[in-house]
This record gives sequence, structure tokens and C-alpha cells, in this order.
Amino acid sequence: MSESSPHLVVRGVSKRYGPTTVLDHIDLTIRRGELVTLLGPSGCGKTTLLRAIAGLVQPDTGKVELAGRDITNVPPHKRNVGVVFQSYALFPHLTVAGNVAFGLKVRGMARREIDIAVERALALVKLGHLAGRRISALSGGQQQRVALARAIAVEPDVLLFDEALSALDRKLREEMQVELRRLLQDVKATAIFVTHDQDEALTMSDRVAVMNKGRIEQLAEPRELYLRPASLFALNFVGLSTRIAGTVLAAGNGKVDVETRVGRLSALGNFQAGSPVIVAARPEQLRLGEQGEANSAAGRVRSVVFQGSRTLVEVDAGAGESLLAELSGRDGAIPRLHDEIRLSWPVAETFAFPMEAQA
Amino acid sequence: MTEAALPAPVSAPAVDRERLAAVGFVLPSFVIIAGVFALPLVLLLGVSIVDANGLTFAHYKRLLGTPYYLGVIWNSLRLGLLTTLIAFLISYPAAFALARARGPLRSVLLATLFLPLAASVIVKAFAWTILLRSDGIVNETLMALGIIEDPIRMIFTETALIVGAVNIFLPFMILPIYAIVAQLDPRYAEAASTLGASPVVTFFRVILPLTLPGIIAGVALVFSLSVSAYVVPTLLIGEKYPTLATTIAKAYLLAREPGFGAAAGVVLLAIAIAIVALSARLSREPK
Repeated sequence: MSESSPHLVVRGVSKRYGPTTVLDHIDLTIRRGELVTLLGPSGCGKTTLLRAIAGLVQPDTGKVELAGRDITNVPPHKRNVGVVFQSYALFPHLTVAGNVAFGLKVRGMARREIDIAVERALALVKLGHLAGRRISALSGGQQQRVALARAIAVEPDVLLFDEALSALDRKLREEMQVELRRLLQDVKATAIFVTHDQDEALTMSDRVAVMNKGRIEQLAEPRELYLRPASLFALNFVGLSTRIAGTVLAAGNGKVDVETRVGRLSALGNFQAGSPVIVAARPEQLRLGEQGEANSAAGRVRSVVFQGSRTLVEVDAGAGESLLAELSGRDGAIPRLHDEIRLSWPVAETFAFPMEAQA
Repeated sequence: MTEAALPAPVSAPAVDRERLAAVGFVLPSFVIIAGVFALPLVLLLGVSIVDANGLTFAHYKRLLGTPYYLGVIWNSLRLGLLTTLIAFLISYPAAFALARARGPLRSVLLATLFLPLAASVIVKAFAWTILLRSDGIVNETLMALGIIEDPIRMIFTETALIVGAVNIFLPFMILPIYAIVAQLDPRYAEAASTLGASPVVTFFRVILPLTLPGIIAGVALVFSLSVSAYVVPTLLIGEKYPTLATTIAKAYLLAREPGFGAAAGVVLLAIAIAIVALSARLSREPK
């Protein structure tokens, strides 16, 4: 199978629990060796989608294909998936090695091969020295690694991580993100992560699917997701932004002029005149002072937050609107609290989204 | 004990205070157990091996050397083993059903399990005699329905004995298993299935081992209760099924042979202790 051919295909998958639609006709195609994150707030359906892929939830409609096989009606134990659960679900009656060997034993693999595979899997997560330990004698981070080794040992067609890092403390989690990504790339694993943590999503994945209310709002590479959010929800969920409400005055050539309470602004987008919209820009696009054709607005500095290489400046632009700028030391002087300043940002980096999408 | 009594010279004062508190908490129950349980047991053992002429093992020889009394011991064991086995087979799925039940259903099920514990064993055993005797409810119903013409002999059979014993001791099997099953994380079964284990393999390799502590507790309770049951065999089967418990009662109340009764008591205790010790050994975490 070639590197770019579809490896996991989810087509039109829906799931309802009573009156609640948890998954609303989800389509998702993942290539072999790709690391994809399902990112969204709790209740957006990301875990249900993961469980549908694992076979732990039976979708009402739609199909799931894995490695060229329709697995929609295949029970989980015949799917060849690996799942790392949030709680790890390590078997407390077995040792570390016993847990890792479990999937191989039930597959009827020969004893000697199992020993070799277990040793290799534990070496991969750097836990070879703990093979004989009981699960209860391990730290949270070590348990996480055992769960990973157990899932990897069976060489699954896809690895599924259900908030697998969220139980670790922040520092350990950040280390694991980098290490896990490297490890998965080394073994050429195809993996799906479920998380509500945008940093984790951006660090770990080749592509991120932003989910909201049972739908995928945007599926894009992390950089594109940040620079070109497809919806107001995606804009809000990943990264910071300035958002100003307004009404479209004129439209054309993929651009709109918008009347707002801080003045007239231009943005990318296709809307009819009179449409209520939200105009938005990422904070690093905002600069001090005027710039030729750019959008600009003025106000009084409300807060200045120093964050090392950058400083976040929030400006009260009046009429309840505010501007958020991220200034680096190279941009010259950083304004002080209560300074009256003007900020400007390029039209090409200004987005417009329909107002009602905010609900 | 000696460890607690001797002051540890190098340990910090905080540890000493903790140890002292622990001893203080344990002391009352220790005194009660020693005074009203251990002491009588030692006396019982003494009575069984001492008579007017000094040390004797005559009572044990009679008990373990007479075919009749070996039959009695076997009857007790059989009652204990059959009751425990059948109670387990009924209780295991019941505990899962109870753990899966939600809302009012769960409350009703738990109530039906707990309420019979409030009724005396004698009342429950009598209830079974009313149900099972030849003019009892079961026979009357079967005859009224035309399924049988003459009453079937049910009371005073071993079947009646086992049915009654299982019914009466069932809660002591269900509750400890239920307590474990209710806390069992459903993720374990899910993890096993995603690793390739079929439902049957998942049951034997994951669910059963993880619920073993509950099974062992239930088995130890029900076996020690049924092997030593007195009221149940007396009312449901009577003279023709003598057990160690009924033999002890007879030795004390009718035959006035306290030495022999004590020996039978010691044997019964030894059987119960053996089973409990075996359970404790099995429930110890595997290496």
C-alpha cells in the first residue's frame, strides 16, 4: 500500500443517543503513517468517534474502513486497533510484561515470539527494567508508557489515544508529547489522538480535526488551522484572536468592507451587504502605529502581559470592543498601561465569519 | 504484639504516637475476641482431649474411626460444598445484573437481597417446610393444575435441604461479589477486546481474575455458614441426615457427652478454618 493511499476511512458516520446527535455524518480520511488529532470541547463527539473506530460504539449510519477492509460490523477484537485509554485500563492482576503480552497471547502467538515482542515493546518505551513489576507499583507516567507498549505490541493498523496524556502533570505531558510523536514516527504508526488541549493537538499531529457538536468544523494541518481558521469556532478554539462585531457595507473580489464600532475595517470573505459578521485577526498580526492600506483602530492599553519572547497587549477600543496584540521585543517600544495607542494589521490577515455561527 | 509493646528506640516520636494509637484502637476488639472467643475455644479443645483419667483421644478415635461418624462428617461437607457451589453459580450472574441495574430497579433488587437477612433463619426454614410439605403450597398447586395426581415427597429430602440452604445463604455470596463487580472499571473489558480478546477470552482472562476476591469472600462465608448449619438441616431433612452441627447438639443436649461434642466441634472448626485459610491463600495477589 502506498504512503498516500487512504488507510482509515470514516464515511457518513452518525450516532444518536436519544434526542442528542453525538456524531452528525462524519467523514474523515486518514493516510497511512499519519498522526491526526480530534480536537474539541467536551461533548463535541470526539471520543464517540474514536470509540466508533475502535468498535466500542456501533454507529447508527455510515461506514468505517481500515487498511482496505470494511470493519463497520466487525467486533472490536477482530479489528486490529490499539487503544490507549485515559485511565490506561492496565490489568491490575498482571505484571507489566503480562499486560504487554496480553494481546499477543490471545492471538495465540508462540511463547518465544511473545517474549521477544514484549521485550522490544518495553524497550521502545524505555521500561525494559520494570517488566516484572506490578501495575500498582508504577507511577502515572510509567503506567502511561505500559499502556502505550501494550497497544503497540500487537502492531495494530491504527493506534487510538483517548485523552491519553491528560492524566499526567504539565511538564511530564509536554515531554511525552514530543517523545510520543517521535516514537510513533519511528515505528511508522498511524494514530488518532483525542484531546481538548490545543497545544497537544498542534504539537502531536500532522493534521487536526476541530470538532464541534458532532461535526468536523475543519480538518487541516496545524499551521493552516491557525493561519486560516475555517470557522469562528475553529478560530476561538485554537489560539488567541481579536474579534469585533460589525455589518457588511460592501462586498466583492473575496473581500468585504465592514462597519464596526471601532471604525470601518476590511476583511477576507464573501458576504452580502447588510450581513452581520465578526471580523477577526491573530494577535501577532497587530502592529503599533499606522500602516498604509491596513486596518487600524485606536484605544487605551488595558493590560500588558510579559511572556518572555513576546508581550501580550490588550487595548480597550471603546464601545465594548477590545484589541489583542502580541508584540515582540524587535517591534520597538512596548506600550505601558493606560497609554493611548493605535494598532494596525494587514487586510490579508483579517477574517470575517458569519455572526450566527457564534452560538 | 511484642513489636508494639517494645518501644522502638530510634523511631521518631510521631511514629511512636501513631503506633500507640493503632494499638489503642485494636485493644478493645482484641480483648473481646480473646475473652469471649479464643478462651472458650481453648476450653473446648481441653474438654475434647481430657477426661476423668487424664489425656485421651478416645473422642477423636470414635469420631474419625466409626463409619457412622465419617458419614456425618461427609454429610456436613456435602451440605457445605453443594450449597456453596450452587449459591456461587446463581450469585455470579446475579451480582453482574445487580451492578448493571440502574435507578429504582437497583434499589428494589438490593432490598430483596437485604430484607431476608432481617428475618430469622428459623422463620425462613419453616417457610420452606410450609412450601414443600406434602400438603404444602407447591404440591397443592401442582395437583390443582393437574400436573401431578399425588403429592411428591419434597420435604425431608436432600434436595429440599440444599434448596433451602442455598436460598438462606445466598445473600452472603451475592453481596461480596456484587461489591467487587460494582467497582469493576468497564474499560478493562474494552481494553481486552481491542487487544484481540473475544468476549469468552475476556471473561476468563480478565473479568474472572479481577472478581476473584469477591468470589473467595463469598465462598468462605457461605461454606463456613452452611457446613456448620444447624437449624436448616434440622427442619428441612431431620434425623436421616445427621451433620456435625446436629451431632454436637445431640451430644450436649441428649447424650450428655460434652467431651465428644467438643471433639465434633473442634473437627467442624478445623474444616471451616481450612477452607478460610485456603481462600485467604488463593486471594493473595499472584506474584
